Amino acid sequence: MRIPVYLFAAASILGATASIAQGFKPTQPIEAVVHTGPGGGSDVLARAIAVMLEKEGLLPVRMQVVNKPGGNGNVAIAYMAEKKGDPNTIAFFTGNWLTNYLVAAEAKFTIRDLTPVARLVLEPAVIAVKADAPYKSLKDFVEAAKANPGKLKQSGGSITSRDNVVRQLLQKASGARWAFISFPGGGQRIAALLGGHVDMMVIEPEEAGQHIRAGNMRVLAQVTDKRLEHFADVPTLKEAGFDVPVVPQVRGVVAPPGIPRENVEYWQEVFRKLTQTPSWKKYVADNQFESGYLGSAELVTFLDGFYGTMRGILKEAGVKTVR
Amino acid sequence: MDILGGLVHGFAVAFEPLNLLWCFVGVLLGTLVGIMPGLGPPATIAMLLPLTFKMSPAGAIIMLAGIYYGAKYGGSTTSILLNMPGESASVVTCLDGYQMARKGRAGPALGIAAIASFVAGTFGVLGLMLVAPPLAKLALSFSSPEYFGLMALGLAMVVLLAGRSMLKALLAALVGLWIASVGTDLFSATSRFTFGEVELLSGIDFVVVAIGVFALGEVFGNMETHDGIRMQPMPKGLRNLLPTLQDLKDCRFAFVNGSVIGFLVGVLPGAGSTIASFLSYGVEKAVSRRREQFGTGVIEGVAAPEGANNSETGGALVPLLTLGIPGSGTTAILLAALVLWGFRPGPLFIPDNPGLFWGLVASMYIGNVMLLVLNLPLVPLFAQVLRTPSYVLYPLILGVSMIGVYSTSSSLFDLWLLAGFGLLGYLMRKLEYPAAPLILALALGNDFERALRQSLMMSEGSLSILVTRPISAVMLSLAALVLLIPVFGRVNAWRLQALEQE
Repeated sequence: MRIPVYLFAAASILGATASIAQGFKPTQPIEAVVHTGPGGGSDVLARAIAVMLEKEGLLPVRMQVVNKPGGNGNVAIAYMAEKKGDPNTIAFFTGNWLTNYLVAAEAKFTIRDLTPVARLVLEPAVIAVKADAPYKSLKDFVEAAKANPGKLKQSGGSITSRDNVVRQLLQKASGARWAFISFPGGGQRIAALLGGHVDMMVIEPEEAGQHIRAGNMRVLAQVTDKRLEHFADVPTLKEAGFDVPVVPQVRGVVAPPGIPRENVEYWQEVFRKLTQTPSWKKYVADNQFESGYLGSAELVTFLDGFYGTMRGILKEAGVKTVR
Repeated sequence: MDILGGLVHGFAVAFEPLNLLWCFVGVLLGTLVGIMPGLGPPATIAMLLPLTFKMSPAGAIIMLAGIYYGAKYGGSTTSILLNMPGESASVVTCLDGYQMARKGRAGPALGIAAIASFVAGTFGVLGLMLVAPPLAKLALSFSSPEYFGLMALGLAMVVLLAGRSMLKALLAALVGLWIASVGTDLFSATSRFTFGEVELLSGIDFVVVAIGVFALGEVFGNMETHDGIRMQPMPKGLRNLLPTLQDLKDCRFAFVNGSVIGFLVGVLPGAGSTIASFLSYGVEKAVSRRREQFGTGVIEGVAAPEGANNSETGGALVPLLTLGIPGSGTTAILLAALVLWGFRPGPLFIPDNPGLFWGLVASMYIGNVMLLVLNLPLVPLFAQVLRTPSYVLYPLILGVSMIGVYSTSSSLFDLWLLAGFGLLGYLMRKLEYPAAPLILALALGNDFERALRQSLMMSEGSLSILVTRPISAVMLSLAALVLLIPVFGRVNAWRLQALEQE
């Protein structure tokens, strides 16, 4: 069995020397590593956070976004692992980093080698169909899928994406079966639905907003535990009659391995304060995210639970897990 | 709002002094970014994003869009002068552009690239203004089978890019398809041809291969010959540095072809400017009376792809602004920017924000004029690069190539790849394998495979979906026709031979 290296054991030894100066405070510009190119989800979040930290005066130095694209996030993870002990680097992780740990055999380093700092947002999702589709509820869709096994289609991201996880869970709960068609870009998934080439998709609420207002899309259910403000009349999965685990899309912050305890605490505090600022609240509301702050220790527990659930789901989706 | 009223309103917005300034800053930055290989418009826009929060949204979108279409103008410069494509869409420009430069016609090549960019860029804006909403609906009727047809048509262009040997061209194309397949498979999340290398999980970057095979291959090849100090002939006099009237006449059809194909392909969110430029080059060659001279430096071979590349910009803004669907890296970050400023592109974007939309459209007309005025005088200046002695120029090309590649990925691994592909490019030159088919296949390979597999998932494994849907059937028939072109040529040659013998 692999013992998580997390922070405390190793960090306390390393930290003992580094932490003579009480309380860490960065003195150099901070490198914020993201695994997407410019314009990708993580990149945009990181840049928005950099602006907010500056505006709210939470960070005495500048935060500079560094793009380390490649290898589905594994290049960024390896880069972070090499930065061992570096107090001036942090990274923004996404669900990708977590599934990579389970499926990427090539990865020499995984997120488990890094130091968890904080969870920041949960991205909810809704289940949408084209406005002129015959399905008025999720039940309608599932029943139709049951009547024509494999005929209905869902557009989504890669097979390890949340889209497919939701599908697997619904299929398992209902015994229905429908096809999953992967599109690399979010735009193409929407285009496939609006063009009538697929029947259903799991979409982020903010992305769906315009299309719903314009009358092109209808939402059947929301993949959340409780109803979102903007979708107050749309049932959650449970309310729609499907008692399946809600798999959140998470984003958060990690630090390199082996950084002192003080640093973790410092960053934890910066991001906890950030999530209470008006700019953050506006950002989260504009994007219809859920603010989901968790500190380092809770994040560890959360991740362990996440791996357990995902491992089972991926196995059922026919994806080979390697860890 | 009707179009005329909208445009008047738009020009009022775009002519505000501050917005004019942002427009100029945008197109200037765009030109610079386009000239430098590597650092592309998405990275530039991302870096400027924090600044835009302090600007008015109209000024900000005008500037960022300026970077986007401005970069398309600059992209051809290094292709023509150094055989170094800075982005995938300017690969085709290397074919005839660099040959023109070798013949001492770098000036006209650069000039025609700017003029074609202006003509087609303006056409793209016209299209965006006139037909955006209805065309966006049409774009939605394209799905995987249609994209498969389009990609097949693009790949069929291989026969038009072949040099003397069709077999060698096809082999090069197959290698390109293979390189495209490296990485993580989208559908099964398994890795292919990664040899346990983390860096290969996301595939091999197109720019690395293109710069390696074209620019480095060329440098390695030229290092063998010790022919003097100067690399290329350079005629004196300003008149020889710009396209002649005859050149413009030769390009008449190329302007139209590039404009129309570029715009139409741009409207399709799953296509992109690479296929637009390859398609218009292919069409240009297929209908040309001097087909056999393509690849030796004919001016319409530069005008058509450069036009398509620029007209594509206007097209790509159609699905972005009317559907909220980005088709490329740059449009994706424009979308992110709009969202960060509090706008949501989608069906209601134009009616909700007429000032922003029309201001942008008007600024693009102005920006295209600025770019022409900015770029034409630069032509003689850039053409001087070729006067540099080769012992300075070659190391310079090597350096710029490495910086360009490193700046996109900050990865040393990619530099090794670059060296490897440079060697491949050199060997291909030695053995007379054409490089263009490899690059074309690499550019389209992923989309081609993906579209096929998506189609088969849609049809539960039945290939008939590819021919029963009308648009895809038409595309595939066109592809078949293109594949037959060399056969016609051969039949003709036999006929002529037979006539001579009689």
